[in-house]
Amino acid sequence: MLLKLAWRNLWRNKLRTSIVLGAMVFGLVGVTLMIGFMNGMMDNMISNAINWQTSHLQVHQKDYSADPEIHKTISRSSQLQVQLDKMTQIKTWASRHLAQGMIASARSTRGITINGIDLQKEALITPLAQNIYDGFWLDDKGRNPILVSKKIAQRLKLRVGSKVVLTFTNKNGDVSGAAFRVRGLFKTPSSAFDEMNVFVRKADLKVLSGIEGDHEIALLVNDIKQLESVKRKIHVALAQSDSVQNWEELQPMLAAMSASMASSNIIILVIFVLAMGFGIVNILLMSVFERTCEFGVLMAVGMQKHKILQLILLESTFLGVVGATLGLLCSLAALSILKVTGISLSSLADGLSAMGLDTLLYPKVSGSDFALIFITVVLASSLAGLYPARQILKQEPAQAMSEKH
Amino acid sequence: MSIKLEQLCKTYNVDTDFPVHAVNHLDLEIKQGEFVAVMGPSGSGKTTLLNMLGGIDTPTSGKVLIDDNNILELHDKQLIAFRRDNIGFIFQDYSLLPVLTALENVEFVMQLQGHSEEECRKRATDLLIRVGLAEHLHKRPAKLSGGQQQRVAVARALAPSPKFVMADEPTANLDAKSTAELLDIMQQLNEQEGTTFIFSTHDPRVISRAKRVIVFEDGLKKEDTIQAESP
Repeated sequence: MLLKLAWRNLWRNKLRTSIVLGAMVFGLVGVTLMIGFMNGMMDNMISNAINWQTSHLQVHQKDYSADPEIHKTISRSSQLQVQLDKMTQIKTWASRHLAQGMIASARSTRGITINGIDLQKEALITPLAQNIYDGFWLDDKGRNPILVSKKIAQRLKLRVGSKVVLTFTNKNGDVSGAAFRVRGLFKTPSSAFDEMNVFVRKADLKVLSGIEGDHEIALLVNDIKQLESVKRKIHVALAQSDSVQNWEELQPMLAAMSASMASSNIIILVIFVLAMGFGIVNILLMSVFERTCEFGVLMAVGMQKHKILQLILLESTFLGVVGATLGLLCSLAALSILKVTGISLSSLADGLSAMGLDTLLYPKVSGSDFALIFITVVLASSLAGLYPARQILKQEPAQAMSEKH
Repeated sequence: MSIKLEQLCKTYNVDTDFPVHAVNHLDLEIKQGEFVAVMGPSGSGKTTLLNMLGGIDTPTSGKVLIDDNNILELHDKQLIAFRRDNIGFIFQDYSLLPVLTALENVEFVMQLQGHSEEECRKRATDLLIRVGLAEHLHKRPAKLSGGQQQRVAVARALAPSPKFVMADEPTANLDAKSTAELLDIMQQLNEQEGTTFIFSTHDPRVISRAKRVIVFEDGLKKEDTIQAESP
């Protein structure tokens, strides 16, 4: 009977209950979309970083990242590559020969990382080959072809067919260089990456640097859950001077942002729940105070105070359950539409590109996020009933019954 | 079972220069089976007296003895349980729960006593039939007339089989026909089941039916007379 009474009491003033529910639904849709947008943004940043830059794992000489000198190649690179081929958990890998240098056109000069790549393997490990903005992917034809980003092309006033000069320090510490011809222009989601990287054939760069071996091996695993076990296996196969790092170690800032994402989602949720909680307390106070006389009658006819507390808490819990359910259903509907259409942020393209983000983002809310939101809202709503209940329970039956509405 | 009041006082605005003595050093005894009307002008303290008799208001001083046990010494929980099992209330404005049907209103107070759903349903139905509401069991209070609502209130008051029923101006909002019907029902219950009824009223229709009339004024008992039974 208590459940029935609480449920019916909730709908005594349909307009008021509907207004609160409406506020809860709008708020929840907003919070869910905000969380979904943040998650989608972070996922996009991570997947872009993995797809275009770090892959899942990278092998370098230990201090190469801190001081990328050209002679710091991976020891026993070719033996390692044989072993990598045997590891079934590895989806694909590619080795790179890197050099820090300058790119110069007739107009300007810029500092860049020259990536000497294995054409077949690189096409499998990054989407670069499929994202040539203008011109063509590198091939065996022609002398010293180069891929430059659209950004560098704009800065250096280059187009497909233009000639550039790459200069860098060779193995003897002398300045070495050669003329390259632009074969294609690429564009990745990260403008920072685009500004700093050019791609040439590995063999061409090796000839110029005079160094055999590779500076970097990038790997993708079949199952991200096996990342750490693959990393341990590779670590065992490496020489002491080399190291293997996962994407989080290679992009510590991104990893930190990802780790703090859960906290920021909780902060958003807490702010919403607090605002909603005050709203519910206000509504419940109104609803309970206008029934003070009725609660007095209930006490008079023998309803124990803990039962009255239960009744009020049930009402607030019902409000929370209905509001959270409706809110999450509407959120699901909105999310299912946005999952198809995406959220277009093309007007912010430059800013997003600086952060390594696509301009079309897809919100993502996990089942655990939904569960967390539901539980938090229902819990907060239930607790919001405590204060109004306390105000009523302080009164004697006769005192409560003398309150007329 | 009897109710005995000893030097009962209820004073409002105690800490001010103008205290109001709603009940002033009252001694009174009401025995089981009585049909008592407490009459007096508005503001004479009738409702306050009834509230203290029913244990829903606390006196400033004095004792409320039920079978020589002072109910004021009971803990909150014990007092609520005592009220639930021994005292029924009928209010001037009916005070039914508007979201429950007539049947549910009556069942509800029985459920508070811990009776099974089946038991509650049976007794509540019987009581409502007895007060002439067989056709209206499943109607909510808003769909019932004032007289019908007050009958539901009577059934609710009687559902837990109380020893005493406190009726605070139960006929104030009723027409002559409804008043007569309601009084018939209550008188019948008093005579057949020995339920004690204590009314606060200034309705001559109620006073004429009462077996005992207590006149109350300015918190003091002015008269206490046993009336001859009407033919």
